[in-house]
Amino acid sequence: MAAHCESGTIASLLSHRGMEITEPLVFGISSGIFFGYFHKMKSFAFPTFIVRNKPGQMRKNIEKRLGVRFKTYNFRDPVKGEMKLDELIRQQIPVANQVDFFYLDYVPSWERVHINVHFLVVIGKEENRYIVSDAYFPKLVELDALSLEKGRFAGGNMSPKGFIFHVDSLPTQVNLKPAILKGISKACFNMLKIPIPFLGIKGIRMFAKKVTEWPKFARDTEHLSHEIMKINILLEDQGTGGAGFRFIYATFLQQAAAITGIAELKSLSEELMNIGDGWREISLFTARIGKNRDLGPDKLKQLSEMIYDRADVEERFFKSLSLAIK
Amino acid sequence: MKEKDGYVDYPEQQVIIYVEKEDGNYGPIQTGSYLSANYMDDYTLKRRNLEAELREQLIKGRISIVKYYMVLEDLTIFELAARAGIRKSRVKKLLNPVYFGTVSADEIIRFSGVFNVAPANLFQVILIESKGTLESNHILENKAEHISIAQSPTANPFVVLTKIEERN
Repeated sequence: MAAHCESGTIASLLSHRGMEITEPLVFGISSGIFFGYFHKMKSFAFPTFIVRNKPGQMRKNIEKRLGVRFKTYNFRDPVKGEMKLDELIRQQIPVANQVDFFYLDYVPSWERVHINVHFLVVIGKEENRYIVSDAYFPKLVELDALSLEKGRFAGGNMSPKGFIFHVDSLPTQVNLKPAILKGISKACFNMLKIPIPFLGIKGIRMFAKKVTEWPKFARDTEHLSHEIMKINILLEDQGTGGAGFRFIYATFLQQAAAITGIAELKSLSEELMNIGDGWREISLFTARIGKNRDLGPDKLKQLSEMIYDRADVEERFFKSLSLAIK
Repeated sequence: MKEKDGYVDYPEQQVIIYVEKEDGNYGPIQTGSYLSANYMDDYTLKRRNLEAELREQLIKGRISIVKYYMVLEDLTIFELAARAGIRKSRVKKLLNPVYFGTVSADEIIRFSGVFNVAPANLFQVILIESKGTLESNHILENKAEHISIAQSPTANPFVVLTKIEERN
């Protein structure tokens, strides 16, 4: 198992080829930590937010920063897509697949939603069923070929288009220190300096401001309760390692301190662990008020203040982090 | 977060979270989902209520079955249109039961693919009596106590085999 599907998939593919790398290092080096708030989007039925960088970006950043080469493929034709996948697994190459989570029939029904950016690793095929290693499942699972095809060729926003990838080559020597510093530097830029009002720290503040307007998007109280409780899912259950990736990033900083010798990163990792505890309080608060249908303006204002508070502490944190690596 | 605070007993949905271990190092633990462990009943209640409300509107001819599934699966018109490969204006029209009669067989196949249901289920809602009330099999997910309903696709894309059996 892994905390997150993309970082977990990359870490497992690299480990399989003999590169010793942890999931937090993959996440940190690829500048995975992020925040974005989307108040109105054509693809989303309700306002929502993200807590990680763009899907696919982790793989690209790992390639750039570690010198790893991944071989990638896209397909229009599902038949060709299946043939290539089968050919690779016949050569005993574990292959990462981008899929829509909705069609994975081994996933409990309450988790199954249309998200086109889930990653899993196919490691074999027996008759018409693929053997799948999914970061979110403790054991290997089986998936019938038709369900995998539906997942790989789902349409819509960020559709997978049959996308698969595997490790092509590893560098003879990996120098983690510059990769870590680049990863941190880019994460700080993303959180502090992107001049777009709904991204980074500005995005957290926009979330804090706009969450009080959520009732006007809801069909009724139960719908609002469901959406408020989804804050908990997005922060805790959708493969974040807890607290919207803040705990895994704190772990990365602790490991980065040991690798780079920059002692300040260790104290910053402790600070981020505490910041994560604050996000966790938000998760628990949303579950509680959602369940109790206690969703009046006072409670949403309280939620808004808790989120504003996270924006303030994270702004200070990322400024300190940025200075620590200079 | 301290390791001891991270453990939740819920084998049905396991997650990895990163915690502070006793030796001060941070690392992963495998645990259960806190939300699912504590609030699954509430989620199920809301989903059942939503289905019942949509079914009521469907029966009364206020919405089409496309809208029924679209709302249940939390999709927007834009997203449904993109996933089905059908123009947005056409999808919008087909949400209205008045125009649903103009739906083509090809559109039915496309929608059933997106909703992951048999094409036949775009013309019916299968209900099962469960604990004194009628519940949609789509929501029960074939977990009714006494009856099992299994639908298997065939080589004919328009035909599904529906097998109804009593559970032992």
